[in-house]
Amino acid sequence: MQPFTYVRARTVDEAVAAAGSDTRFVAGGTTLVDLMRLEVMTPRTIVDISGLPLDAIEEGPTGLRVGALARNSAVARDPRVRARYPVLAQALESGASPQLRNMATVGGNLLQRTRCSYFRDGVSACNKRAPGTGCAAFDGYHRMHAVLGGSEHCIAAHPSDMAVALLALDAIVHVRGPLATRTVPIADLFLLPKDTPHVEHTIGANELIVHVDLPATPFAAHSRYVKVRDRSEFAFALASAAVAFELRSGRVGEARIALGGVGTRPWRAREAEAVLAGQPPSPELVKKASAAALEGARPRKDNAFKVELARRTVARAFEELLVAQDAKDGGGAR
Amino acid sequence: MTHAVAVGARAPDLALPALVETADCPRVIAFVHRWHPGADGAALRAELRGLGAELVVVSGTGVWAFGPDDHAERVALLSPRQLATVGARFGVSGRGEAVFVVDEHGLVRIAHRSDAGLAGGLADAIAAAAQAMLADSAPAGMLDRREWNLAALVSGFAFVFLTGCKPRDRAQREAPVEAAALPEGLAIELDVNGKVRALRVDPRASLLDTLRERLGLTGTKKGCDMGQCGACTVLLDGERMLSCLTLAAMAQGKKIVTIEGLAQGDELHPMQRAFVERDGLQCGYCTPGQIMSAVGMLAEAGDRQLTDAEVRHGMSGNLCRCGAYPNIVAAIQSSRPGRP
Repeated sequence: MQPFTYVRARTVDEAVAAAGSDTRFVAGGTTLVDLMRLEVMTPRTIVDISGLPLDAIEEGPTGLRVGALARNSAVARDPRVRARYPVLAQALESGASPQLRNMATVGGNLLQRTRCSYFRDGVSACNKRAPGTGCAAFDGYHRMHAVLGGSEHCIAAHPSDMAVALLALDAIVHVRGPLATRTVPIADLFLLPKDTPHVEHTIGANELIVHVDLPATPFAAHSRYVKVRDRSEFAFALASAAVAFELRSGRVGEARIALGGVGTRPWRAREAEAVLAGQPPSPELVKKASAAALEGARPRKDNAFKVELARRTVARAFEELLVAQDAKDGGGAR
Repeated sequence: MTHAVAVGARAPDLALPALVETADCPRVIAFVHRWHPGADGAALRAELRGLGAELVVVSGTGVWAFGPDDHAERVALLSPRQLATVGARFGVSGRGEAVFVVDEHGLVRIAHRSDAGLAGGLADAIAAAAQAMLADSAPAGMLDRREWNLAALVSGFAFVFLTGCKPRDRAQREAPVEAAALPEGLAIELDVNGKVRALRVDPRASLLDTLRERLGLTGTKKGCDMGQCGACTVLLDGERMLSCLTLAAMAQGKKIVTIEGLAQGDELHPMQRAFVERDGLQCGYCTPGQIMSAVGMLAEAGDRQLTDAEVRHGMSGNLCRCGAYPNIVAAIQSSRPGRP
C-alpha cells in the first residue's frame, strides 16, 4: 500500500474542507482499503468520516431519510425500510457478506468501484484505472461484464445491488460541497463510460454524500429485488432486477424496473416501464416488458447469456410481486 | 558476588525497567552469550507454547522478551558490566550459560546451568527443562495431542501447562510497543478485549496486522487479506467486522473483541465449547473467524432461534476450505441452550 496521510474529520465541514482530487473519504473501508492494498487506488490523503453523525435513519420531508453512514446491515433490518421499501432491504441482504454489510455504508456502497478483474489487477490495460491504456476486457474474458451501456473503452459492470434498488425507488442523493448542499436524483448520479470511463459519477471530489431520501411513492412498498448469481451467497450479480409497481383496478399504474449486473451503471429500463403502464398484468405483458428492458443490449462472446438471464430475472421479480399481491388481496386482484 | 539459585526458591528480580515484571506468568529466563531473533525461532516458540511461558533471553546482543506467538522484542541492551551484575544474581558468570523456569508464583522450578555453555542450543535446553517439568508434575488425565490442539485453536492460545497464568493476563500484558514504533507513526489507542493499548502505527496498518504483529494477539487469522474469507473476523462495538479491511487508526474509540477475549479466565465461551464438542473444524485456521462471526450472528438474532438455513446464510462470510460446514452449523446450533 502506498503511504498516505490519515485525517480524521470531526465535522462534515471539516471533512469537506479536507477533500480534494488526491483525497478520498473512507467510512467502511470495504472498497477503499481493498483497492489501496492492491495499489489500484493511491490517494495521498484519506479522510476518515466514520465518526461523523450521519448514520441516522429517520423520517424526512418526503419519506424515509437514510444517512450516508448508515451501515448496509442497519438499513436492511430497519422495520420501516422493510415495510415501505422492501426492494431496498432485499437488495442489501443479497449483497456481500454479513461482516461486509456491517461495515459498508450507504454512501460508500453508491460510490464503490467495479469488480472488473482487469481494473483490479493493477497491470492490464484499463481505461478506468489508467485512462488511455485501452480495455483488456473488451476482447478478453468478460463473462461478468456489462451488456448494457458499454463502449469500446469500457464494459465494466457496476457492482452495487443497493444502487439498483435505489434507482427503482427514485431516491434523491443529498451532497454537501464547500459552499452548499445540493440534491442529485439517483438517475443522474451515475455516468456512462463513453470515452471517459474513469469519470463514474457526478459528485465532485470536494463533495460528500450526507444522506439519501427515499420518496414515499405509490409503488415503493410494492417492490421486489431478485438476484441471480453463480452461488447462493456472497457473490456479485450475473443479473438482478428491482421491480416496483402499483396495481390500480387490475391495471399496472406507475412502474419502475432497474437492472443490476448487466449495465455499466445501475440500469433503469424506462422502455420496459412504458410497456407496463396502464396495462392489465399478463404473462404476455411481462414477456414484452422484460424484452424491452434488454433492448439495445450489446453482448460480447462470454456474456451473451446475460441478455436472456436478465429478461427472465425481470419476469420473475414481476411475477413474484403479483403472487404476493394476490396473496394480500385473497386472490382477487388479478 | 555469585551465588546459586535453588529450585523452589524465589527467583531473583531481573530489575530491568523496560521489562514488565508479571509475577502471575510463568517465564523461562535464559542466559546465553549471543542470541538473535530467528535463531531456532520456530522450535523455541513451540517449546514456549508447550510450557505456556514467556521467554526472556539475557545475552550480549541484548535482553529479548517474547511469548510463543510474539515477535521477539529487544527490551534492553546491557553493557558487559550490567550483564555481569544480572548474571551474578542468578549464579551465572563468565562463560556459563543457563536456563531457569520460573512459575507463576515467581518460584524457580527448573535450574539448568552449564559452565561450558548450553549444548545443542537454547530450544533444546528449554525442551529438556519442559521434559523435566512433565516428569515432575504431569497431571493425571492429561489431554491427548488432538485435544491439546483443539483447546489451543478455539481459545486462540497456547494451552497453559503451568497453572495460574490465565490466558487473558498473558494476552493483555503490556507489549513494549514503543520499541517497535515508527518515528512518523500515528499515535492511537485501541480498546482490545477490555484493555486500552496505546501505540504508534503506520497509517496503512490494518487492524488485523496490528492485532497480530504489534499486540501479539495471533488468534485472529489472516486468510485472503481482501475481505473474502472471514478468517480475520472480530467484533467492533459488538458487531462482526473484518479486521483486514479496517485500518487500525479507524478502530479507535471502538470496543474490539478478538477470539482471545471470549473466554472468561479458564472458562471457554459457550461458542468455543460448542466448536470443541461438535468438532466444528478440521485444520482450524478459519476457526477463530468462524467463532467470532457466529457470536456476532447470534447477537444480531437476539432471542430468535435460527434455522439451519439461516445459520448457513448468516455464516456465508466465513469460508472453510476443509469443508467442516455441517459440524460448524451443528456447533452454532448447540451453543444456544444455557447461553447467558
